Amino acid sequence: MARSLAGFLALFPFVLICGAASLFQPISDSHRSAALELFTPTHGSFKSLEETYEALRTFEVLGIEKKPDVTATACRSISETLGSLTSTPKDLFYALKANSIVKCKINEKTSEGIFTRLNAAVNGASSLLDFYYSIGGLVLIKGQTSKADVYLTDAEGVFRSVKAFSQSDGRWRYSSNNPESSAFAAGIALETLAGIVSLASSEMDQSLIITLKNDVSKLFDSIEKYDVGALYFDDKLVDGREHQGPLSTTSSVVRGLTALAAVTAGSVNLPGDKILGLAKFFLGIGVPGDAEDFFNQIDSLACLESNRVSIPLILSLPSTELSLTKKDSLKVRVNTVLGSNAPPLTVKLVGAFSSGSKDASLVESQELKFDAETGVHILSNLPKSIDVGSYTFVFEIVLHESEHVKVYVTGSQTKVPIFVTGLIKIESAEITVLDGDLGSIETQKKLDLAGHNAVSLSANHLQKLRISFQLTTPRGRAFRPHQALLKLRHESKIEHIFLVGNSGKQFEIVLNFLGLVEKFFYLSGRYDIELTVGDAVMENSLLRAIGHIELDLPEPPEKAPRPPPQPVDPYSRYGPKAEITHIFRAPEKHPPKELSLAFLGLTILPLLGFLVGLLRLGVNLKNFPSKAIPATFAILFHVGIGAVLLLYVLFWLKLDLFQTLKLLGFLGVFLVLVGHRILSHLAATSAKVKSA
Amino acid sequence: MKNLSFLFIFGISFFPLLCFSFDPETPTDRRVLVLLDDFSLKSSHSIFFNSLKSRGFDLDFKLADDPTLSLRRYGQYLYDALILFSPSTERFGGSLDLAAVLDFVDSGHDLIVAVDASASDLIKNIATECGVDFDEDSSAMVIDHKSYAISGTEGDHTLIASDDFIQSDVILGKTKIKAPVIFKGIAHSVNAANNLVLKVLSASPSAYSANPKSELSSPPLLTGSAISLVSVVQARNNARIMIAGSLDLFSNRLLRTAVQKAGSPDKYEKSGNEQFVTEISKWVFHERGHLKAVNLKHNKVGETDEPAIYRIKDDLKFSVKIYEWSGKSWETYVADDVQVQFYMMSPYVLKTLSTDGKGLYHASFKVPDVYGVFQFKVDYLRLGYTSLSLSKQIPVRPFRHNEYERFITTAFPYYGASFTTMAGFFIFSILYLYNK
Repeated sequence: MARSLAGFLALFPFVLICGAASLFQPISDSHRSAALELFTPTHGSFKSLEETYEALRTFEVLGIEKKPDVTATACRSISETLGSLTSTPKDLFYALKANSIVKCKINEKTSEGIFTRLNAAVNGASSLLDFYYSIGGLVLIKGQTSKADVYLTDAEGVFRSVKAFSQSDGRWRYSSNNPESSAFAAGIALETLAGIVSLASSEMDQSLIITLKNDVSKLFDSIEKYDVGALYFDDKLVDGREHQGPLSTTSSVVRGLTALAAVTAGSVNLPGDKILGLAKFFLGIGVPGDAEDFFNQIDSLACLESNRVSIPLILSLPSTELSLTKKDSLKVRVNTVLGSNAPPLTVKLVGAFSSGSKDASLVESQELKFDAETGVHILSNLPKSIDVGSYTFVFEIVLHESEHVKVYVTGSQTKVPIFVTGLIKIESAEITVLDGDLGSIETQKKLDLAGHNAVSLSANHLQKLRISFQLTTPRGRAFRPHQALLKLRHESKIEHIFLVGNSGKQFEIVLNFLGLVEKFFYLSGRYDIELTVGDAVMENSLLRAIGHIELDLPEPPEKAPRPPPQPVDPYSRYGPKAEITHIFRAPEKHPPKELSLAFLGLTILPLLGFLVGLLRLGVNLKNFPSKAIPATFAILFHVGIGAVLLLYVLFWLKLDLFQTLKLLGFLGVFLVLVGHRILSHLAATSAKVKSA
Repeated sequence: MKNLSFLFIFGISFFPLLCFSFDPETPTDRRVLVLLDDFSLKSSHSIFFNSLKSRGFDLDFKLADDPTLSLRRYGQYLYDALILFSPSTERFGGSLDLAAVLDFVDSGHDLIVAVDASASDLIKNIATECGVDFDEDSSAMVIDHKSYAISGTEGDHTLIASDDFIQSDVILGKTKIKAPVIFKGIAHSVNAANNLVLKVLSASPSAYSANPKSELSSPPLLTGSAISLVSVVQARNNARIMIAGSLDLFSNRLLRTAVQKAGSPDKYEKSGNEQFVTEISKWVFHERGHLKAVNLKHNKVGETDEPAIYRIKDDLKFSVKIYEWSGKSWETYVADDVQVQFYMMSPYVLKTLSTDGKGLYHASFKVPDVYGVFQFKVDYLRLGYTSLSLSKQIPVRPFRHNEYERFITTAFPYYGASFTTMAGFFIFSILYLYNK
C-alpha cells in the first residue's frame, strides 16, 4: 500500500502539468459548464442530501443562474430527515448544510428537538467524526433559527476533549483508540473546534486558542510541494479504506483553517506564500471530472476567496504567445481565485530572460498600464531588446494601499513563460548542382520559398547538391529555427532526411552524392526535394516541395545494403480480389454435320452395289426347303440372325452391354439349334444331289 | 472468522460472474480492467470513463503497481479487456507482467494502451510486441509547426491538431469527425513488416519527433506522415489493440477544449477528441465491425438438398448469411464485396456474391471440369472488420460412362458402315444358303 501511495504522490503532478505549465488561470466559464454537467439531478433531485449540498454550494459559489431547480424536493427530504427520530447526527448535519443554501422553513419545535438531540450527541461523542457532525449541526442550526440561546454549556470541556485527539506534528486522530493520524482529520478537527468557539457562551480561554494555532503552524510544516509552486497536504499513513486523496485532504485543511480564522480574534500566523501555494494547487487541477473533487475544489477556493488569513491573488495572462509582427501588447490580469476583481494594484515587469540562458535580464523594470474598463494591465510595446524567441517574464504585484498588503497575498514574483513570435524573412534561397572536383557551378536556380517552386535538376554521383537560404528576425537578427530539415524522397517512397546547418544568418547544406550512394541504396531515379523550416516562434513556418532531382547513381555492388521494406498501403491490401472464372476445356472439334451425313450416305453405296450385283447375277431362292419342317427351321434361323442384328442396333440405341449379352445368349442357343437343323438338312440335301 | 465467512459469501455470489467469459455469441467486452498510475486520472479523464460505463462496461480501476493485480484466476480470465493508462509504470504489481499482457491479448482479449512523454520501457515493450515502435528518444515529443492547435498558452507547438484519419467507417464510425483531434504526446511508427497494424491518426507532413527544449543535433528519426499518433491492431484471433501516443488525448481537458488549427479559419467549439475516442473504443471493444457467418449452404440449381458430391459441369447455387454485431444484437451486414472461392490448391472460381440486402449472400456458378476434392471458401478480410474465414469441403467427380454424349453425328459413317455390312450379311446369308 505504501508503495502504491508513493506512486500516487509521484504522479499527481501529471495533472498539474497538463493544466498550463506553471501559469494558473482563475476559475472561468469552463468550470461553470462543467458544474452543470457534473451535477445533474435525476428525476428532479440529487441522490442524497450530501450531494444536494455539494451541488447547491458549487452553483452558489460559481454564481450559476440557470441551475436546475431542486428546491421543492430538497425541502421535502430535508424536513423528512430533520423530523425523523432515527436520523443520525451525520444525516442531520448534511440536511442542515443543504438547508443553509435552500433556506426552507424549519419550525421551532423541530429545531428545538434537533438542538437537544445534537447536544446529547456532543456529550456522548467519543470520536472526532461524532464531534464534527454534532457540533457542525449545532453551528448550522444556530444560523438557521431565530432562537438566540443556541450555545454549548460546557464549551471548554468539549474543546479539550476534541483537542485530546491532536498529535504533536499537527495531525489528528479520528478517535482515541485509533493510533493513526492524518491531515484530513486535522482539517475536520479545526472546523469542529471553530464551531465550538462560535458556540461558546462566554469567551474561551485564550491559551487554548494559542496552542491550537501552534498546532496549525505545525501542520503547515508538513505541507508537500510541487516544483511549480503548488502546495498540498497528503496523508501517507492511512489504511486504504479511509484513504483520502490529496485534493480532499487539502480541501479539508483549508476549510478547517478558514473556519478557525473566522471565529478567532487575532490572525493565524501563516506565511502568505503557503496560502498562495494552496490556491495554486486547487487551480492547477483544472476542471475535475468527478463531482466530489469538483465540489472540494470550488468550496476550498471559495473559502480562500474570503478568508481572514490572507486572500491569494492570481496573476494570469490571457495569452502567453505575443506576436511581434502583429504588435501584440502584453496583457496581464490579476484576479482572486474565483475570478473577481483585485484591489487597486500595479503590475511590474521586473525582468525578462531568454529561456535556457541564465543571463542578466533583457529589460529594465517597468510598470504595466492599468486599463480600468477591461481590468487588464497592459504593456503596449514590447521592449526593443525582445526579439522572437521564448522567454521567461518575471512580474511583481504591488498593492496600492498598505491595508491590503495584510489582507492579500500576491507572491513575491511570478515567472511566466512567454513565446514571442514573428514573421521570419527568408531571403536569397537558391539550389545549386556543383561539379564534384572543381566545385564549379553546373546549374543554379533561385527559389522563392514563400511561393510555389518546381525546379527539375539532374545530377550524377560525382556531383553535389547545395541548398542555401538566409533567415532574419523582424528585428534584423539571425534566426535559428528548431526544425530545418531537407527531405529527399525516392520514387519508391524511401526518405532521407538531412539537417540544414547554419553559420549566422546563412543556412546551407551540401549533399555530396559520392559519399551518400550507400545511404541512398544505389537507387537511381527521381528524388523529390522537400524543405521544412519551422519553429515555435516562427509564424510563417513552411513546408515546401521544391521540385525534384534526377539522380544517376552507379550500379549497386553485390554486398550493397538492401533498402528497407516500406509499409504497404492498407487500403490496397483489403479490397476485393479480382474475380476468377474457370475456363472449361474446349469441346473436341467435329466435322460439319453435313459432311458426316454425306459419308453416311456413301457407306450405304456398297450395300446398294452389292444388291445391284446380286440382281445382275440373277440370284434366286430355289433351294429353299419345300417341306414344311425344314422351311420353318429356315425361317426361324434367319429370323434369329435378323434378331441378333436387330439386337446390335438396339445395343447402339439404348441397351447396355449386360442386357445385350443376356439376350444374345438366348438368341445364340436358339440360333445354334435351329441353325444346326437347317444347315444339316441343307447339307443332307446337297449330299443327296451329289451322290445322285 | 466473520471476515472469512464474508469472503466466502462474496466469492459464491461472484461465481456466476467468473464463469461468464468471452462468448462468441455476444462478442462485446464487459469487464474492463483499467490500470492507472494515479487515481486522479479517474477524475481528469472521467468523460471517457463515463462514456464506457454508460455503454455498459464494468470498469475496475486499479493502480498499476497494486500488489493484488491479476488477469486470470484458476485459468479463467477475470477481464475481457485491459486499459493501460499507466505510462510511467516500470513494473506492474501482482502477477501481471509483459508476458501476462501478451497472453491476455493472444487469448483474444482487447487492449488499449496510452502513453505520454514519461512512457516507461515496459509500456514501450508492450507496444513493440504489438507492432508499434515508439521513438527511442525518451525526451522527444511530436512537434508540428504547421498544424498545431492554437491555444494562446502553449507556445511550443507540441499540442498538435490532426485530422488525418484512416478512411474507415467501421473503425471511426459513420459520422465524419469534423473537428481536428488534439494530441500532445510522443510519436510512434508502425512496423512495416507487420501488416496487422494500422495508422488511425497520422501526423501531418510537417510534423517531427524531437525534444522541443533542445536543438536538433541529428535528423529526427520520425518525421512527417510516417509518424503515427494513434494506431490499432487487429490480431489474427480478432483481438483488438489500440495504441495512442498521448494519454491527454482522452482527458477531459482536451475533450472539452475549443480548437482551431493553425492556418485554418475554422473554429470548433469542441475538439474531435470525444467523438474520436468514443468511436474508436467502440471498435476496440467489439461494439462494431465484428462479423459472423452462418447458414453456409450449397445445392444444385433446381434442387434444395445439399448433395454429397458434385459432378463436373454441374450448375450450383451457394449462399451464406453474414451478420454484424452492433453492441447489443446481431444486425444484418450489407456489403457488395463478399466473395466465394471454389478452391482446390488454388481458386478455380472466385465470384462476388450478390446480396438481397438482408444479410443473405448468394451466387451461382458451374462446377469446373476438373475433378478432385474442392472447398467452398469465404475469406472476408476488410479494413476494420473481423476476418471471416469459412470453408466447406466438397468432392467433384467426372462423368460416369453413360453420361457422355451417345449419338455423335461424326460417328454416323462408322455406324452406317457397320449396319449396312450387317444388312449385307443378312441378305448374303439367305442367298448363299438357298440360291440354286
